[in-house]
Amino acid sequence: MPSHARKPRAGPSPLTVDVLSGILDTMSTSIANTRTTSEPVVVATNLRKRFGDVEAVNDLSFLVNAGQIVGLLGPNGAGKTTTINMLTTLASIDGGSAAVGGFDVKTQPDQVRELVGLAGQSAAVDEKLTARENLDLFGRLYKIPRAERRQRTDELIAQFDMVEFADRVVGTYSGGQRRRLDVAAALVANPTALFLDEPTTGLDPRSRAELWSEIAELADRGTAIVLTTQYLDEADQLADEILIIDRGQIIASGPPKELKRGLQRDVLEVHVAAGDLDRAVGLVGEVDGLAYDADAGSIGIPVGDDVDRSLELLRRLQDRGISISDFQLRRPTLDDVFLSLTGAPTEREEVST
Amino acid sequence: MTAMSETATRRSLALRFRGVFQDTITVLWRDTIRTMRQPDLLAFAVVMGVFFLVLFNYIFGGSIGAGAGIDYLDFLVPGVFVITALQGAQQTSLGLAADLTEGVTDRFRSLPMSRAAVIAGRTIADAVRNVAGLVLVALVALLMGYRFASPLGALGAIALATAVGYGFSWLGAAIAAKVRQPDVVGMLSMFWLFPLMLASTAFAPAETMPGWLQDFVTYQPISAASDAVRGLASGSPAGGDILLTLGWTAVLLLLFAPMSVRLYQAEAR
Repeated sequence: MPSHARKPRAGPSPLTVDVLSGILDTMSTSIANTRTTSEPVVVATNLRKRFGDVEAVNDLSFLVNAGQIVGLLGPNGAGKTTTINMLTTLASIDGGSAAVGGFDVKTQPDQVRELVGLAGQSAAVDEKLTARENLDLFGRLYKIPRAERRQRTDELIAQFDMVEFADRVVGTYSGGQRRRLDVAAALVANPTALFLDEPTTGLDPRSRAELWSEIAELADRGTAIVLTTQYLDEADQLADEILIIDRGQIIASGPPKELKRGLQRDVLEVHVAAGDLDRAVGLVGEVDGLAYDADAGSIGIPVGDDVDRSLELLRRLQDRGISISDFQLRRPTLDDVFLSLTGAPTEREEVST
Repeated sequence: MTAMSETATRRSLALRFRGVFQDTITVLWRDTIRTMRQPDLLAFAVVMGVFFLVLFNYIFGGSIGAGAGIDYLDFLVPGVFVITALQGAQQTSLGLAADLTEGVTDRFRSLPMSRAAVIAGRTIADAVRNVAGLVLVALVALLMGYRFASPLGALGAIALATAVGYGFSWLGAAIAAKVRQPDVVGMLSMFWLFPLMLASTAFAPAETMPGWLQDFVTYQPISAASDAVRGLASGSPAGGDILLTLGWTAVLLLLFAPMSVRLYQAEAR
C-alpha cells in the first residue's frame, strides 16, 4: 500500500464555530441555533434535480461526518456533478433538502458558501492570474484580512508544492500543476466541507498519488469531504464510504471493503504450460463460472473466500505433474462491483449533464 | 425586541453594502490585472479609434465637410470619442461572456461574495481602460491637427464619453449574461452597435440624412453623446445635449444593471 493509506479516525470533532456564534448572532439574525456538535457536516435528504425530461438526480440521500470522505462513484452523466453543484449552491434544488454545517442550502446559501470549498470540473481558477494572485483573489472574496491572507497563500503554496510556479500565469501550467492549484484554491478559507469533483481526472499516476495523500491528510485534520470519481481505485483508496450512483440514484453504498466482500467473487488465476491446459481444466472439474484462456494458458477459478479450497486446487494440479508457472488470488475490484450491480461496464458513454 | 432586530437588520444591511463595495474593488483589481496582461484589448480600442479618425477624415471628410460647410476634423473627433467608448462596452460584453464560460465564474458563484460585484467590477475596469484608450485617441487627434478649446473641455469630453460608454457596458453585460457564448455575443453586439453608430451624428450631421430618420438620429444616445462631447470639446454651450446624454446613461444603468445581475445569477446550463 502506498504511504497515504489512512488509519481509522475518531468520530466528528466538535465545531469551533460554536464559540463564535454569540458574536455572530448580533451581526446576523439568521445564524441558527440548531447547530449541534454531533451533527453530520453534510446532510443530503431526498435530493432531486430535473433537466427537462431527465431526472439527473433522483432521491439521493447521504451524510458526511467531519473527517469522513464519502466517494460518489459512477459513470459520466450519473448525476455526480449535479449533486455537488446543488450542495454548493451552484444549482437549485428541485426536491428534497440539503444542509451543510447545520445551514439549509436552499434558504441560507450565504452561510453555506462560507463553509464550503469546491474544486474540480465546475470551479476553476483564473487563467490570466498567477497561482499566488488566484489564492489572494479568493482570500479577498472570503474577506480574510490581508496579513492572514498572505500567510494562508504562502502556506498553501508550500503545502501543495507550488513554489516554483506560483508566480507564473496559470495558463502556462501543466495538468498536474493546475489541479494542485484547483484544490488549494478550495482550501483558502479552511472549509468545513470540501467538495472535490473528479479531482484527479487526467493526471499522471505520480501527481495522482500526491493529490490523494493531500486529500487523505485533509480528512485526517477533520474536514468533511465529498469526492466524485469515475476511478474505482480512487474511491477504493480514499473513501470511507462509497455511494455507487447510476442515473441519479444510489444503487449501492457502504465502506469499500464491504462493497467488495458482498460479492464473494475471489478468483484463483492459475497459469500453466499451454500443453497442460486441457488436462488442468479437467482436473479442476466442474466449477460454476470457470473460465480459461487457451492462448494465455490461464485458468480462472471462482473460489469464494475459501483459502483452503485455493490451496487444495493448487496442490491437486501440482500432484498430477502440471507445472504451474504463476498463480494469483484476484480480489474483486470495484469494476466487478459496478458490473454486477448495473449489468453494464463503467466506461459507458453518456451525455454529461 | 423590535428595536433590536431593527438594529440588527440595519447593521447587516450595512455589512452587506460594505461587502458589495469590497467585492467590487476586488473584482476590479482582478480585471485590471487581466487587462494589463492583455494589452491587445486596449490596443484594439485605440486602433479602431484611429482607424475611424483616418478613414472618415481623409476619405469621407472632404464630401461630408464640404456638404455641411464645416471643418470635418472638428466634427469627427468628438464622434470618434463616443464610438471608442462604445467599443469598450462591446469589450465588456465579449469579456464577460468569455468569463462566464470559464470555470472561475462558477468558483465565484460558490463564494460568499456579492453577485453584483462580479459585473460591477468588470464594467468599472473596462471604464478605466476606456479612459486610457480615449487619452491615446485624443493624442492621435492632436497629431492630426485637432485642437480642444480648453484643457478642461478635453477632460469633460473624455469624462462624458466614458460615462455614456459605461451605461452601454451594462447593456453589453446583460447580453453576455443572457447569451453566454462569446461568438454569439460578438454578433449580437454588432446588431445594436452598428445601426446606433452609423445612424447617429457621430460621423455626419443629421441634416445630411433622410428626413424620416432625422428624429431618431437627433435624439438617440450616441448622437446626444456626440453632440454633447462636441460642445464640451469646442467650448460651445451644449447643456441640453449633456443632460440628454446623462439621462440616457441613467436609463441604461437603471434598465440593464439589475437585469444583468439577475441574468448572471440565473443558473448555468
